[in-house]
Amino acid sequence: MTKKINEKDLVMIALFAALIAVLGLVPKLTLASGIPITAQTLGIMLCGTVLGAKRGFLAAALFCLLVLIGLPLLAGGRGGPGVLMTPWAGFFVGFPVAAFVAGLVMEKMRGPVAVAASVAAVAGGIVALYGVALPWYMVTKPAGPLEAALVAGVPFVPGDLIKAVLAGLVTQALARARPGALLSRS
Amino acid sequence: MLALTSPVKTPYHGLRAGLKLGLLALATIVLFALGSLWGQVAGLAVVMALYALPGARFARAGVAALRPVALFAVLIAAFHVVTWTPVEGAVVVLRLVSAVALANLVTMVTPLSEMLGFLHWALAPLRALGVKTRGLELAIPLAIRFIPVLGEKGRALGESWRARSRHRRAGWRIAAPLAGLAMDDADRVAEALRARGGMAGGTGK
Amino acid sequence: MGEADAIELDGAGYAVESREILAPLTLCLVERRIGIVGRNGSGKSTLARLMAGLIAPTCGSVQVNGEDIYADRAAALREVGILFQNPDHQIIFPTCGEEVAFGLAQMGVSDPKGAARAALAEHGKAHWEGRPVGELSGGQRHLLCLIAVLAMAPKRLLLDEPFAGLDIPTVRALHREIARLKQQVVLITHDPAALAGFDRVIWLEAGGIRADGPAAQVLAEFTTAMEGEDAGTDLAG
Repeated sequence: MTKKINEKDLVMIALFAALIAVLGLVPKLTLASGIPITAQTLGIMLCGTVLGAKRGFLAAALFCLLVLIGLPLLAGGRGGPGVLMTPWAGFFVGFPVAAFVAGLVMEKMRGPVAVAASVAAVAGGIVALYGVALPWYMVTKPAGPLEAALVAGVPFVPGDLIKAVLAGLVTQALARARPGALLSRS
Repeated sequence: MLALTSPVKTPYHGLRAGLKLGLLALATIVLFALGSLWGQVAGLAVVMALYALPGARFARAGVAALRPVALFAVLIAAFHVVTWTPVEGAVVVLRLVSAVALANLVTMVTPLSEMLGFLHWALAPLRALGVKTRGLELAIPLAIRFIPVLGEKGRALGESWRARSRHRRAGWRIAAPLAGLAMDDADRVAEALRARGGMAGGTGK
Repeated sequence: MGEADAIELDGAGYAVESREILAPLTLCLVERRIGIVGRNGSGKSTLARLMAGLIAPTCGSVQVNGEDIYADRAAALREVGILFQNPDHQIIFPTCGEEVAFGLAQMGVSDPKGAARAALAEHGKAHWEGRPVGELSGGQRHLLCLIAVLAMAPKRLLLDEPFAGLDIPTVRALHREIARLKQQVVLITHDPAALAGFDRVIWLEAGGIRADGPAAQVLAEFTTAMEGEDAGTDLAG
């Protein structure tokens, strides 16, 4: 954890930042409730569950930086400082925190990969991410907690729960295809 | 992919990236301080004038870039209609549109190279404190390079899925093999990086 | 149209945003061994994707054994199997067994896992079933992709520049596997040597047909043209 970042880490971080971007381009599926979900948060969760807390945080932060300097990589083709201007921006700003928490849980938790990774993805991609996003909404809109929960919380929970389960399955598939690939558990 | 670049050369291109970002920050603070409906209407008028100045083509591109914001605006509007607070709703929606439009404007007229230049400049204090920023400055072009490469691999994996499936879209199912391919690449790229100086930045280690 | 057991293109072309990748082609492919040659960017891969029903032609129609293979994916799985150049871009599942079982499950085979095991065993690779795909060598990955496609028993096989980057003995071994196939084979390549003994060769250039005929004749023309062509390499520009 305290080791210095070497070339391999750097490349891995850049690759996963790119992976988040590419997963944002995957055609989105629409839930029964009519709310579209993209695979972008899936990418954030994977940063944590695969790379671990530190590298996952850096990969997500690098992705955020790429978006902020103007690359239209955020799901829906958004980019530039404009992404900070909506009350929902906490969902973007919270990405590195989400990846970090997911990574931390993955590193600490024992048990089957799919289960641990799903729990980690819930902790990072839902608990931690909403922990940033909802207060952000309340301060910037501004709004009360009830409005924040109704407009910025509840509608996205079903999609994010599905993605957390998928993150678990994807992490497990990766670990089975390439034993030793999970840096979060080495 | 939606490109956030201007289709025409504008007078704004000549301004320095740092100046544009500074003005944007200032304008955003003003927009958030304006609580009245008329203040927000005036704000939007100023933003529209800024878009109109370089011509119709530029303005059209600006409107197209705003499309993703529509969903957010509708959500907020719907909430305020339901709770019957239309004035507050209008203030928030107008502020949202103006602030995003203004930020998009800066993005559209500032080439990536200048943004990177600004970033390098902004990191100078860190370097002065002895923090090495070389890793970050290597990671950005690397990630930008990897995006089309991984995108192409994702496309090929989706195609391989379709070739053996009754369904056309692979969706999230390619996430695991794509992440695997990314990790396979990491070793080779890291070696290539090290062979050409790597983190040491050519100063030798 | 709709001739039995043929790949038929009727004025089928492909364009992206008005840029023509493949000019409208009319072809009827019935021979058992067909080669398609051409340089990089000549439209070979686009043609393969059209014939496998992975993309829809932007004009004209493509039918295989009378079926619209783009619209009817279930029919496409029966009619055409396709093997791409890079196995890394085809392997989707964590273990060899799952990789082979996927296509079988899609075809509605009742016991895809058992069928996958049998398919691996048929190629002497029963021990691969639980093997992580990440541990296979380059040549082994190619073989796995081939087994996965053959397990689905398509009536014809399209090979889009397969086996690039492998050593000579491995390529020979894989070509022997293909030579044994009873199915119709369409092999796309830029290597004329791989097409010796084929029934028909089509030479694509700049998205159109430059020559189409018996292998010996077309390959001779192609080789002469390639060796004479110093100016217009892929590297120019």
